[in-house]
Amino acid sequence: MNKKDRVMTTLDHAEPDLVPITEMSIDAVHVERIAQTKFTGEGSLQTQVSADRRAEAHMVAATTLAYEKLNFELIPVELSAPDGWNPGKNPDGTTTDEWGRIFSYDARCKAWVPTSSVFTTPEDYERFPFPDPHASGRTYAIEQTKKRIGEEMALGGWIKDPFAIAWEMFKVTDFVRWLYEKPDFIRQVIERITDFNIAIIGRIVDAKADIILSSGDYAEKKGPFVPVKFFKEVVFPSLRRQVEVAHRAGLKFIKHTDGNLNPILDDLANIVDGVHSLDPTASMDMGDVKCRYGDKLVLIGNVSVDNLCTKTKEEIVQETKNCLRVAAPGGGYILSSSNSWYTDAKLENCLAMVDAGRKYGRYPIDICN
Amino acid sequence: MTSLLEEIERSFAEVSGVDQMKNYVERALAGNIPPLDIIQSMRDGLSTAGRKYERGEYFLSELIMSGIMAQELSEMLKPHLQSHKNQFLAKVAIGTVRGDLHDIGKNLVSTMLSSAGFEIQDLGVDVPPEKFVEVVKNESPRVVAMSCLLTIAMDEMKNTVDQLEQSGFRREVKVLVGGRPITSDFAKQIGADGYGADAIEAAEAAKNVLTK
Repeated sequence: MNKKDRVMTTLDHAEPDLVPITEMSIDAVHVERIAQTKFTGEGSLQTQVSADRRAEAHMVAATTLAYEKLNFELIPVELSAPDGWNPGKNPDGTTTDEWGRIFSYDARCKAWVPTSSVFTTPEDYERFPFPDPHASGRTYAIEQTKKRIGEEMALGGWIKDPFAIAWEMFKVTDFVRWLYEKPDFIRQVIERITDFNIAIIGRIVDAKADIILSSGDYAEKKGPFVPVKFFKEVVFPSLRRQVEVAHRAGLKFIKHTDGNLNPILDDLANIVDGVHSLDPTASMDMGDVKCRYGDKLVLIGNVSVDNLCTKTKEEIVQETKNCLRVAAPGGGYILSSSNSWYTDAKLENCLAMVDAGRKYGRYPIDICN
Repeated sequence: MTSLLEEIERSFAEVSGVDQMKNYVERALAGNIPPLDIIQSMRDGLSTAGRKYERGEYFLSELIMSGIMAQELSEMLKPHLQSHKNQFLAKVAIGTVRGDLHDIGKNLVSTMLSSAGFEIQDLGVDVPPEKFVEVVKNESPRVVAMSCLLTIAMDEMKNTVDQLEQSGFRREVKVLVGGRPITSDFAKQIGADGYGADAIEAAEAAKNVLTK
C-alpha cells in the first residue's frame, strides 16, 4: 500500500496498514530545517502574495521535499495567484491581495498575515474588481506538486471558505456590523464567493488533486463566530454546494476549522467528509467526536498545537498515543497537529509526534497506556 | 425616564443594533436624563450580554456588535461628558504585544473593560515593551493589559514586565495578561498581577487587581 492508497483507504473509513500522517501547513523555518534548503520567496498561509513563478517553484520544491522527507501521506497545496498578477504594494509596506485584504509581513514567521482591509463601506465592495476564477495560473503550484509526487502521495488542493473570506475581507467588525444592518449584502457576497469556489474546484479537479481542502475558521475557543442560525441559513448551504461539486468529480471534501465546533458538528457531519483541527484546547474531545461522528467524518488532528510549542517530547508521544488509541481503530483518522507546525513549535516535538505515529499507528491499533 | 434607561440597557443586553439604541439615547438626552445614568445602563446591558456569551447563549459576533454599539454610544455622549472627569474607575493601557498582529481578543477585552467602567487607552497591535513603559511613564495608567494570540509572542509579555521593572515603573501599575495561549500559571511565572481567560474574566481581573 503506497502513501496515497493509505489516505484514500482512510477516507473510505477502512483500516489501511498505517495511520496516515500529515500537516496542513508547515512554516518556512521548519521546512528549511527539514528539507535542508532555504526558502527564497515569501508566502502566506492565508492568501497569494506573489505570482513570481520562479520563487513559487522553489517554495513548492522545498515544501514537497520536506513532506517527502517526513514520509507524509498527504500534501496540501495552496492555490496560486493568476499569471502576471501583482499584489497591491502600499506605502506603509503592507500588501493587498486579490480579495482586498491588507497583509503585513511577519519577519519571524517569514509570512504575510492579514491585518486590515481596503473595504470601509459596502459600496467599496461594489467597485472592487472581483477575482476571476478562470484566470490562468491558479493551479500552478498544484500542477508543479503533482508532477513531482505523481500517484505516490495524496494531494489536497486548498480553497478558502466563502464565509471566512468575507469575514476577513471586510474586517471582523465591519462584517459583524453589516451582518446586523445589511444581512442581504453579506449573503450575496458569500453566495458570489461560493460561485468563485465552485469554479475553482473544477480547476483543482482538472489539475489532478485527490482531495479538496477548505480552509477558514468557523469558530473560536468558546464556539462558532456567528449564531448557529446563520450557519444553517447561509454558511452551510454554501458549503454544501461546494461539496456537491467535489463529490460529482469523485473528490472527498475536508473542512479545516479551528475552535469549538460542538454546536455545529451535527450539520458539518452531514455535509463534509472530514474535519481537520479538532483542537483539544477548544473543547474538542477526540473520544467524544469519534463516538458520535466516527462513522460519518474522517477525523484529522487533535495533537495540540500549543503543546508542540511548550511540552516535552515524552508528553507529545503520550498525547499522540492517546489520539491514535481513541481515533484510529476502524480507520477514518489522519494524524496531525490541531493546526500546523508554525514557527514557535519545537521541531523535535513535531518529529516526536511523527515518530510516535509510525511506531504506534500500525493496524490493528494496539496501544496500552 | 426609567423606562428609557431600561430600553437602553435592553438594547445592549439583546444586542439590538446601533439604530435602535441610538434612538433611545437621543430620546433620553432630549429628556435630560443624566449621561452618566445612560452610561450605567449601557454597562449593565453589556454585562448581561457578556454573561450570555459566557454561557454559550451568545456568539462572538454578538459580543463584537455590543462593542460597536458601545463605541457609538460613547461618541454620542462625548459632548455631554465634558464636566464628568471622574466617571472612570481607572485608566487601562491595553495592547497586543510585539510580534503579534491580532486584535480581536484585545478589542473585546477593551469593550468589556469599558463596560466595567474603565477608561481605555488602546495602543494597538505589535506593541513593543518600550512603548508600554513610555505610556506608563507619560500617561500614568493604573493597569497595563497585554494580549497575544501567538505562542511566539508570549515572551514579549515577560519582556514588558521586565522592562517595567528595570525602568522603575513596575510598582506604578498592575499588569494583566490574556490571550489564547496564556494560562494563569504563565501569568504568575512572568510576574503579572492578573489574568483573564476571556474578555469577561479580564474585566473582573482588572477590578480585582485594583484592590490588591
